[in-house]
Amino acid sequence: MDWHLLGLSFATVFLSELGDKSQIAAIALCGSSKSVRGVFLGTCAALLLASFLGVLLGGSLSQFLPERWVKIVAAIGFAVMAVRLLWGSQDEKTEQI
Amino acid sequence: MLTVESTPTASDITTPLTPLTDSPEADVAKGIKGLQEDSPQSFWQRWQVEIKVFTSTFLTIFLAELGDKTQVTTLLMSAESQSPWTVFAGAGAALVLTSLLGVWVGCWMAKRVSAKILERSAGIILLLISVLLVWDVVQG
Repeated sequence: MDWHLLGLSFATVFLSELGDKSQIAAIALCGSSKSVRGVFLGTCAALLLASFLGVLLGGSLSQFLPERWVKIVAAIGFAVMAVRLLWGSQDEKTEQI
Repeated sequence: MLTVESTPTASDITTPLTPLTDSPEADVAKGIKGLQEDSPQSFWQRWQVEIKVFTSTFLTIFLAELGDKTQVTTLLMSAESQSPWTVFAGAGAALVLTSLLGVWVGCWMAKRVSAKILERSAGIILLLISVLLVWDVVQG
């Protein structure tokens, strides 16, 4: 085990992810959602899989997935969650409170 | 002197206790409520909520992270030098820690801010993230 490389990758990813949109999304989702465990596990699984694919495929990832379309789909996903929170049905809101 | 001091404290303890043990009917109602919460249907419903939260969180954050080029490039750069599994272990630990911190901050805020304000601000934050992603697409 190369501890130097381990520490380096940990530090770079930790610092670049601190305050990044995925962490801010985790903060927002956790505060508003009913299941903290679901948010935490979902965030962890997504981040681990994303970095796993990054390690596995490396540079060829962009050949499989057009970055723009992935971003647009992600943007739509966040917008849908935001709309559901802001203008969600009254029944859901009373349920959540 | 001692007995005079001790009597008010004793009454202070007993007075708040009396409204809690209100009536036997209230206890029965609580017991029924507890039973209903533990029934298999509501357990299944809770499970469904958790799965729903998990999948929606997973899909959006996964797609947002896939589009994030910086992470991929840093991983790639360090992976090219040596073993990719060491890089993955370090990056994975960092990612779990950052999401743990995010969830922790969210819970901390949820205890302090009212649910309505929290919901609204969370919606605005998510909307901002989606606008940011669209902006990235337009710029790139």
